[in-house]
Amino acid sequence: MKVITGVVGNDIHVVANRLIDLSLRARGFEVFNLGVNTYLEEFFDAAVETGAEVLLISSLNGEAEGWGREVKALKAKYKTLDDLIMMIGGNLVVGSGNAEDIVPRYKNYGFDLVCHQVDLNTGLDLLEVFIEDKKLQKSNK
Amino acid sequence: MSQNKDKLLIDVGSTYFKVSTSEHIEQHFRDFNKDIFDDLKYKCGEIISRYAKADVNICSSANGGLSALIIGVTHTFSLKFATNIAFNSGINIIDTILYQNIEEYSVPSDLVDVVIVVGGIDSHSNIFSDSLYNYLAQLNYSNLVFVGSEQEASSIKDNIEHAVVLPNIIDDRLHIVEEHLKEYLTNLYQQDIEGKEDIKNLYDITSNQIYSTPYIVNKALPLIDARFSIVNPFILLDIGGATTDIHYSKDLVDDNIVTENEYDRLVFKKLGVYKSKQSLIFAAKNNEFVYELLTHLKVTENIFDEQSEKATKVLMQLAVFLVLCKMSHYKKSYINLKLLAVNSIVLTGGVTKVLAVEDIEYIISFFYKKILTSDHNPVVVLDSNYDIWTLGAQGNELCQ
Ligand code: B12
Repeated sequence: MKVITGVVGNDIHVVANRLIDLSLRARGFEVFNLGVNTYLEEFFDAAVETGAEVLLISSLNGEAEGWGREVKALKAKYKTLDDLIMMIGGNLVVGSGNAEDIVPRYKNYGFDLVCHQVDLNTGLDLLEVFIEDKKLQKSNK
Repeated sequence: MSQNKDKLLIDVGSTYFKVSTSEHIEQHFRDFNKDIFDDLKYKCGEIISRYAKADVNICSSANGGLSALIIGVTHTFSLKFATNIAFNSGINIIDTILYQNIEEYSVPSDLVDVVIVVGGIDSHSNIFSDSLYNYLAQLNYSNLVFVGSEQEASSIKDNIEHAVVLPNIIDDRLHIVEEHLKEYLTNLYQQDIEGKEDIKNLYDITSNQIYSTPYIVNKALPLIDARFSIVNPFILLDIGGATTDIHYSKDLVDDNIVTENEYDRLVFKKLGVYKSKQSLIFAAKNNEFVYELLTHLKVTENIFDEQSEKATKVLMQLAVFLVLCKMSHYKKSYINLKLLAVNSIVLTGGVTKVLAVEDIEYIISFFYKKILTSDHNPVVVLDSNYDIWTLGAQGNELCQ
């Protein structure tokens, strides 16, 4: 399964990005890593060019909030991304915040899976479960 | 020039001929009622007759170059990569089409020399369908090249007669692969030159291949230090009668395009002071800062209707200003250059015959102050003796 990953906006924290790349590969995903400093349009465009099923965005420095608000409007411009699984993780707000507030907000922005300060492996387990569920739903239809 | 003592270099532009020997360089205004070859022989016959065919090198931008229409699936990858390769091959792009919205685009009525279709990495499939073929059925074009996912190639071939399929310009890491498309487009340009009666005749005086002028200029850039003291990074503006070309160092763009070229090229087709004067004036009237600039230059917009030396000078100054605007963040385009990082601005082409360094410095500092609100002031270098072109022509000759 193809996954696009990268760190959104002007964020240059690269360590998590490398780990995500390695962990996804170890789990058998085909990874397209756009690296740090990646803009939303580049993420979506990469999904179009590759036919990826999953978009996994990281944000560490707190910028995600600003970008999150633009996700829905931008994604609506694309005609082939309706089935794209959207995931985001890292430090999703500036300063501290609690997951109960943050998760619903980001879901509202258009993300299926939201992992604020969640350990990577836990997050990727969630992703795999989500993918399985989606497959089941599809085959039941 | 010592190593190339006995060469004759000829550049056929849209407005002028330039002829250079080891001793001197001359330029002539073209007579548009005459065939290029006859006109050239009439004006420079004596010099030409002194050189053997093997010692004559010609480049030309007079045939206007090839027109390309690009259809791709995203702005960031397919359209951007194909645009970059086309510009660097000396091709003019008339339009780019985002494939998912192809039904909303109007079909150009003019004949398009080459259509480039691109999209998807090789492991992706089912990208193109009938909407592409329906569009192409209405379009009048001479060549079509497909440079997208290899899995789409067979259906493209089945549906489009004479489609040429080349390796994908997007690799599996979403990086650009230039060479195949670049070679194809460069060859097409050659064939076009050879097919044009006007240019074809020029092979009577040379046994060397005739190249496009922007290709030659691009070749000169890595060698530019030999003739000018230029502080990197720099941009080069070639402002002529029909088009304006910009060549820029790669350091000036933040980009997802990683190539081996040190310099890229960008063209603004309708920004010239002679053949495309009207569209230059149109662009000027639509720029909110132009009136203020005219006031600074102590003229009014009536200057647009004048035919005088002064008017040509002002138009050239406006061309410099408009080109800088088009490349800055003030206007979002295919590429925005980091103009605050530019240390030198080199000007070549017809502009060098009309404007003095001070005239250009004035415009450049106006641009930086007004548009970028900065006191930055890059050094202006004027290539008034066509050294860049000679350098490129010789450099190219040495590579052969
Ligand atoms: C190293 C570092 C830097 C280095 C980065 C070097 C580099 N190129 O990578 C430098 C010094 C450049 C830097 C700069 C800045 N930093 Co800094 N930096 C850190 C630091 C100390 C470590 C980050 C790190 O590499 N951790 C190791 C990796 C493995 O862990 P991680 O990044 O947390 O990622 C894990 C999880 O978050 C998770 N994860 C990440 N993404 C995703 C995605 C999904 C889907 C899932 C499931 C999980 C997941 O998985 C990873 C592994 O478990 C952290 C503090 C800290 N201790 O975390 C601050 C920190 C991230 N930086 C911070 C800030 C504010 C900045 C600056 C704005 C500082 C400034 N004022 O200039 C700049 C921003 C620069 C920019 N443009 O982005 C803040 C962010 C706070 C916020 N969000 O509110 C932090 C948290 C420090 C703090 N406590 O204030 N920083």
